[in-house]
Amino acid sequence: MAKGKRNLIIAIAIIVILLLSFYSFVKGTYNTFVTLDESVKASWAQVENQLQRRYDLIPNLVETVKGFAKQEKEVFIGVTEARSKVGSATTIPDKINANNQLTSALGRLLVTVERYPDIKSNQNFIRLQDELAGTENRIAVERRRYNETVKIFNIRIRTFPSNMLAAAFGFEKAAFFEVPDAATATPQVKF
Amino acid sequence: MKSRFLLFFFVLTAVFHISAPLVKGAEILPRPEGAINDFANVISPEQKRPMELLAREVLEKTGTTVVVATIKSIGDNDLTDYANRLYEAWGIGKKGEDKGVLIILAVEERRIRIETGYGVEGILPDGLVGDILDRFVVPQLKQNNYDKGMANALVAVSQVIAKDADVSLTGSPTGSPSRYPARKRQVNPLSLIMLVIVIALLLGTRQGRRMLPFIILMLMMGGRGGGGGFGGFSGGFGGFGGGLSGGGGAGRGF
Repeated sequence: MAKGKRNLIIAIAIIVILLLSFYSFVKGTYNTFVTLDESVKASWAQVENQLQRRYDLIPNLVETVKGFAKQEKEVFIGVTEARSKVGSATTIPDKINANNQLTSALGRLLVTVERYPDIKSNQNFIRLQDELAGTENRIAVERRRYNETVKIFNIRIRTFPSNMLAAAFGFEKAAFFEVPDAATATPQVKF
Repeated sequence: MKSRFLLFFFVLTAVFHISAPLVKGAEILPRPEGAINDFANVISPEQKRPMELLAREVLEKTGTTVVVATIKSIGDNDLTDYANRLYEAWGIGKKGEDKGVLIILAVEERRIRIETGYGVEGILPDGLVGDILDRFVVPQLKQNNYDKGMANALVAVSQVIAKDADVSLTGSPTGSPSRYPARKRQVNPLSLIMLVIVIALLLGTRQGRRMLPFIILMLMMGGRGGGGGFGGFSGGFGGFGGGLSGGGGAGRGF
């Protein structure tokens, strides 16, 4: 009698613990998903801030360079076109793509500048170039943070056992901001 | 005997679960020693002392942390990227305010960078930082006057910050440095309570001991880590509070 009662208490205790840990697992996992989903969105917003910053900086830069190198029309057209594509992109993959193109167009502009010592020693240009380099670096930093957040989120969503809950609650993988090799490589000067 | 072993295994698992987030990030970055971190040994003691005092004064009067670091070699790293990660690892400035500046020199790579935190981007735009480097710092570094170059960088940055905060710098701090509270790790109280209950049950009853492997499995499924932190080790200089930099600033080779 006494032993049966003790067994019952233990069984109940174990069931309670199991239920508690199941509840805590579901709650923890779901809340982690929500938190990570929000951080992915927040870090993308940071990336966009910096992309916008670069977008705003370009007209000034182009004007300054134009003052010294009017004849380099192609390069200016390339930058201006790439910039307007960035302005019209709406979805995240489109934005990533358009910005990668703008990065390489800007790269060509800066390579062109190398041929004009006057621009390089111009105080205004040096400042603008610092601002541009700083912006590019900010984009790189925010992109790295965004990708790190996406990675954590995607791992959570795809690993067992939280993947079952991700499917049940409808959380989907987020997209990485990948940079093609062409955009990071230094453009070649052609004569 | 067997149950002893299982219990040992269980406790080990539980302990590992709680402490796991501590070992985060494989990369080894140096730890800050104070405001002036002369890891490369290029700043003389006579120069270091006034620099330390100036950094303290700036922190006291403006709440902005200016940190100097010299590194012998950063290896294959890019200084721009390295500076940003070091900034983040050290947490320069208060979390959320991010008012901090990291002046970092890579001696062998012959590169210097001034990295600005989110909170000072407005008063120290990249163009101005580049200008400071060109005018006061790079000419000194070119002649291997690391002492003077780093001191100039610190003074120029400090003056911009002081001007914005509308204070004047005298070169000596007044009181004790204000210290940001160190960040603490959090342990979920629910998991601690569960741990105690489970251990009591497991130790107290034979049936409990039989359930051990199953419960260990359950715990492994539900395991979650808290956030790790790294603060409060700056040796009297309280400027490290989890600040972040977004990659602003400027760099130069010399």
